[in-house]
Amino acid sequence: MHIMEGFLPWQWCLVWWIIALPCVMLGIYQLKKVMASDRDALPLLGVTGGFIFILSSLKLPSVTGSCSHPTGTGLSTISFGPWITALVCAIVLLFQSLFLAHGGLSVLGANIVSMGIVGPLVGYGIYRLLRGTSINIYITVFLVCAIADLFTYVMTSLELALAYPAETGGVVSSFILFMGIFAITQIPLAIVEGVVLALVFKYIVALKPDILIRLGVFSEKQINSAGSDI
Amino acid sequence: MAYKYTLEILTVIAIGAFCVTFLYTSATMSGAEFAGSDNVGSGLIAKLSGTPLENFQPLIWQWVPPSVEIESALFALQAAFGGILVGGVFGYWMGQKKKA
Repeated sequence: MHIMEGFLPWQWCLVWWIIALPCVMLGIYQLKKVMASDRDALPLLGVTGGFIFILSSLKLPSVTGSCSHPTGTGLSTISFGPWITALVCAIVLLFQSLFLAHGGLSVLGANIVSMGIVGPLVGYGIYRLLRGTSINIYITVFLVCAIADLFTYVMTSLELALAYPAETGGVVSSFILFMGIFAITQIPLAIVEGVVLALVFKYIVALKPDILIRLGVFSEKQINSAGSDI
Repeated sequence: MAYKYTLEILTVIAIGAFCVTFLYTSATMSGAEFAGSDNVGSGLIAKLSGTPLENFQPLIWQWVPPSVEIESALFALQAAFGGILVGGVFGYWMGQKKKA
């Protein structure tokens, strides 16, 4: 999903930076608040952030004849919300911009918006929608992780379509073209990411259910019933 | 027992199905070169903007790994850092649970 350095006009770089910066600042503020209230949340942040580091470094061939990488943002979104996830993604994307030439400093704002803000925000919406229902928490985690991954690529397509509208059909036509490259390739990868992260969440529930309950990720009843269910 | 490991079994099935489909498509699909979607996307940008790919210049200077091998090593380093974080914390939690 990385938009490469120099591939967005400076005006669009500025727009995405202006959107990304307040979200990352909000993430710093929220992280400080969480750490001040519960230091036990730090290892969980390490696990969820660690998965963003791992999964976003894996370039996997997809079944569509192209390859792409998962994002791993779903776990962090569920555990800490979209703003702290935006902050963690900003760190990962900065590392990739500086040392891997994947992305770049001028397009960092755009990449943060797609991977760290829009994907997690859509995932968080799904989580809030399903959290209060009787749906098994692992199904919720699967859906959040898969959809957060997929919408990262939908947003990348939109960012590129806005900067490069097609001569005929404009932004919509261009958006469909970019979706064909990014989002279609991503569907199978998003499904596998969702399943794998649901399994990881199961181990977090098995080892440290109390932190999930204290952070209000799921209720004690949901955690207990899910823990014994699977 | 199998019920206890439902998620593990589903994960193996999902990864297995993905691998089988991948092997099938790579064997049968013509032109499946598995170029990165980032690179294919860059190609489309060049086409839509009418600017050759090589004419896109960084707006801000960027260090580029001198070889593909070094780039791969740095990607592996990133994954290793994440792996150390995840493994370290899970180990810490396991130790805490055993102690309790």
